[in-house]
Amino acid sequence: MPLHIIACVKQVPDPEAPASAFRVDEAAKKVVAAAGVTPVISQFDALAVEAALRIKDAAGDAKITVISLGPETARDVVKHSLAMGADEGVLLTDSAFDGDSYTTALALSKAIEKIGDYNLVLCGRQATDWDAGVVGYGIAEMLGIPSVSLAKSVTVQGDKVVVERVLMEGYDTIEAPLPALVTVSNELGEPRYPKLQQIMMAARKQVTIWGAGDLGLDASKVGAGAVRLNLERLFQPVSEVECEIVEGETPDEIATKLAQRLREQKII
Amino acid sequence: MAPSNELPGNIFFYLIIVGFSAFFLLTIAARLLPFLKAKGAPCLDQLPQRVGDFMLVMIGQSKFFRRKYWYSGILHPLIFWGFLVLLIRSLNMLFSGVADPLSLEHLPGGIFDFYKPVMDLFNVLVMVGIAMGAYERFFVKPPRMTLNLDAWRILGLIFFLMVTDILANSFELNLEGESKEAFSFVAYGVSNIWSGMNLSHDATGMLHATFWYAHLIILFGFLCYLPYSKHSHVLTVAFNVFFRNRERSGVLRPINIEAMMENAEEGATFGVGKVTDFNWKALLDFMTCTECGRCQSNCPAYLTDKELSPKEIEHHGRMTLLSTTPTIASLMKGKPSPNGDHLNLVETMGFESIWDCVTCGSCMYWCPVCIEHVPEIIDVRRYLVMDEARMPETAQATLMQIEQRGHPWRGTQFGRSDWMQGLDVPLFDGSQEYLLWVGCSGSLSERNVPITQALARLLLQAGVSFGVLGEEEPCCGDPARRLGNEYLFQMQAQQAIEIMKSKGVKKIVTACPHGYNTMRNEYPQFDGKFEVMHHTELLDQLLREGKLQPKVGLAETIVYHDSCYLARHNEIESAPRRILESLPQAKIAEMERSRKTTFCCGAGGGHMWVEESRGRHINHARTEEAMATGAQIVATACPFCIQMFEDGIPALEPDEEKRMRAMDVAELLDAAIGTAPTVKPATAGEGEGVPAST
Ligand SMILES: Cc1cc2nc3c(=O)[nH]c(=O)nc-3n(C[C@H](O)[C@H](O)[C@H](O)COP(=O)(O)OP(=O)(O)OC[C@H]3O[C@@H](n4cnc5c(N)ncnc54)[C@H](O)[C@@H]3O)c2cc1C
Ligand code: SF4
Ligand code: SF4
Repeated sequence: MPLHIIACVKQVPDPEAPASAFRVDEAAKKVVAAAGVTPVISQFDALAVEAALRIKDAAGDAKITVISLGPETARDVVKHSLAMGADEGVLLTDSAFDGDSYTTALALSKAIEKIGDYNLVLCGRQATDWDAGVVGYGIAEMLGIPSVSLAKSVTVQGDKVVVERVLMEGYDTIEAPLPALVTVSNELGEPRYPKLQQIMMAARKQVTIWGAGDLGLDASKVGAGAVRLNLERLFQPVSEVECEIVEGETPDEIATKLAQRLREQKII
Repeated sequence: MAPSNELPGNIFFYLIIVGFSAFFLLTIAARLLPFLKAKGAPCLDQLPQRVGDFMLVMIGQSKFFRRKYWYSGILHPLIFWGFLVLLIRSLNMLFSGVADPLSLEHLPGGIFDFYKPVMDLFNVLVMVGIAMGAYERFFVKPPRMTLNLDAWRILGLIFFLMVTDILANSFELNLEGESKEAFSFVAYGVSNIWSGMNLSHDATGMLHATFWYAHLIILFGFLCYLPYSKHSHVLTVAFNVFFRNRERSGVLRPINIEAMMENAEEGATFGVGKVTDFNWKALLDFMTCTECGRCQSNCPAYLTDKELSPKEIEHHGRMTLLSTTPTIASLMKGKPSPNGDHLNLVETMGFESIWDCVTCGSCMYWCPVCIEHVPEIIDVRRYLVMDEARMPETAQATLMQIEQRGHPWRGTQFGRSDWMQGLDVPLFDGSQEYLLWVGCSGSLSERNVPITQALARLLLQAGVSFGVLGEEEPCCGDPARRLGNEYLFQMQAQQAIEIMKSKGVKKIVTACPHGYNTMRNEYPQFDGKFEVMHHTELLDQLLREGKLQPKVGLAETIVYHDSCYLARHNEIESAPRRILESLPQAKIAEMERSRKTTFCCGAGGGHMWVEESRGRHINHARTEEAMATGAQIVATACPFCIQMFEDGIPALEPDEEKRMRAMDVAELLDAAIGTAPTVKPATAGEGEGVPAST
């Protein structure tokens, strides 16, 4: 049987939109993006799909399923992954899914179990909106499979996965038995550009849609009631900057005065 | 009387004609096969203009009369016009060879006699042309030319055509002893030599027949050799000129993506990956290139040591085409083509070359035989992008950026309406005369924002009725199209046309020559017909109407850099210069390469965002030219050009004090009008962005 790889992709508001395009609604504890901010595939998640495609290219045959949890618009990131070359797409969309990292991991792990027959799960190292970087490991924990973080290369050799894991200087090579979960880092390279033929084919492909009920879950397990993370307050920190110019005739004099000022302030 | 009017001469005559013609026709038939299978290209629109253009470019040889190539400008027309004039004598040779009564000598009134001095004159002029050509190839050896034996064969054949023509005529004069000397003055002069030698009538007859047949054989031999020579343009150029694309040189043609998807067979591609996927006009281009190298020696990519040479593009196109074209031998063996069907153009033309092109159109402007390089290069780019997804990393990042964010300016800190802060610019609602199309650069790129503001102030000052689309303005699509993603371009173009139509836009003014070119020349392909003006055209008009009156003096020297998409592709050269001339006290300098012969800033064809990884930087080369004029200001009228200068100037002049400044024509005019309120430049949002949750 060919390999079956599952990639989890998240839709995020464009992280490259100018900061001025975002506003913090402190009462609702939400960040509001301006109308012009387009939702895009989280950068590391496109790389998770890329890693899956590279494994498929190397193996000659493999099936790739992408899953996204989010609103209806998240269909776009599933389609984008299909255009890159994934074979099937699943969208988990239900108002009951509105929770935190824990509930997201739970819903995704249930969906992966429902799909079944998988050998490898790939996630991004962190979603490029909140940058929490926990969902992938949560899924592995719930599925009871090993997980390896921060991959710069992922290859499947027989019944194990071999991962080059990014370190501060250099990398580790780690092997894990399949099935396993790997999170992918930007060192993997660039995600591929979809060919037009594939974009057209992806446009015609059906995306499977599951709600909480399809996964045997309800709002009490994955909704606001089940969250394990409580957001106390969301605000933009106000930083006050005072600028004092230290003057002097020579660099030596300026440095001495500066050192004195810093000592006065008990900084040095 | 021709030597072929009697036995056995007529047997020779018909053997020669039938033998050579059969060979020639078979060659042509084989060569035509790929043309018959190729895609179509519009070639019969605007017939009257085509005829006029043909007379000027083909018959009038207008593309040869350019100072830079004055030497060829003399020699080529001499040979070409001689060829036309002497064609009549060659035809007469065939007519009279078949039967004497068919000879043009028998035309009423002896009018053929009066044509003879002209032909004789051209016998000599053609030889002068050939001598000049030989001198150039032997002694001058211009680097642009491909120098090989082929050219010598062609020059030799034409030379001997002239020699045998004169000799045959001279002996004929002696033979017939008629009183027509006065007409064929060259042949008459030569015939006097023979008269002095007291040749017998028989010997004269023999010599006449010898040179007569020699001329005939060389003539047909020449014809048969041509298709195998790089000088096959003699056979094809007339068609190439007549059927050239009548649109402006900056225009790319659309492909019908939906139809292609519907009838997608196995292996069908959107772009051109195999030479047989080109339309027939491109194939004709390949067969017409004479490898004269004018395109190459004016190509900014080639001149800055990139892989690309437009001449080589044509050469490789031709070689690849010939490798898929049947030969007489292969036809006889019943094999359709020798071997080249598998050849991938990307391999033969070169991946780097395809990406080096900045679509500046210099090659097309200089090519004397109207070859259309840019659409061919973009066709292969389309293949690379849409069919193979193979492109330089920065090109891919740009296309991704456009796809995801609807504009090419990655990482911009501006929104589309930030530049309007502090200015009383209305949104377009259908009641205004003009839509001011700001463009992605005009609103999102830091250096261009003050230009947009200056332009808006000028329009307000002049009382022009205009509005903007603000946040609703999309990307016009130019970068996507020129980077080879026709699909993305068409989606953007349709979106833009839809918005403008729904708002009732009729007239557009824009400061971007690329947007101008796309909206004016390419939107009609998608039923988007608007009257489009470049800001320099409108400002020039406002100046002439007295609605803008420059008062503040600017005692500096300004050199104007022509944007390729304004001057060369769209013939807007004088309006920006008139604006500069209106600036009090300003002095205007010109660069050697200006107006239609301008040199690209390096940012066309999507290259604003594509890394220039090889050779010298094109913008440095151009900045050097501007600096060499000694001007204090380089004026531009394009959002890309100005950025290329802003980058090039500090790279070439470390001393900040001495640096030339780059300014848009609108900024200069705005300063000279002097009523401009000091407007704070639009500022980007402050503070760190907090990512939003979904
Ligand atoms: C992502 C990232 C990670 C990094 N991680 C590390 C790390 O782990 N360890 C590490 O050592 N470095 C790290 N660096 C580098 C580090 O942040 C600084 O670049 C480096 O320490 C600068 O030291 P410098 O001596 O060159 O001082 P400068 O860069 O010249 O200046 C340092 C400081 O001196 C003060 N200063 C200088 N001129 C003036 C002036 N005219 N007026 C007032 N104050 C002035 C300012 O406070 C300034 O920030 C990192 C940089 C980046 C971008
Ligand atoms: S368009 Fe410009 S860059 Fe491209 S081949 Fe022609 S001259 Fe060279
Ligand atoms: S394309 Fe035109 S200019 Fe270039 S070498 Fe051929 S004939 Fe000359």
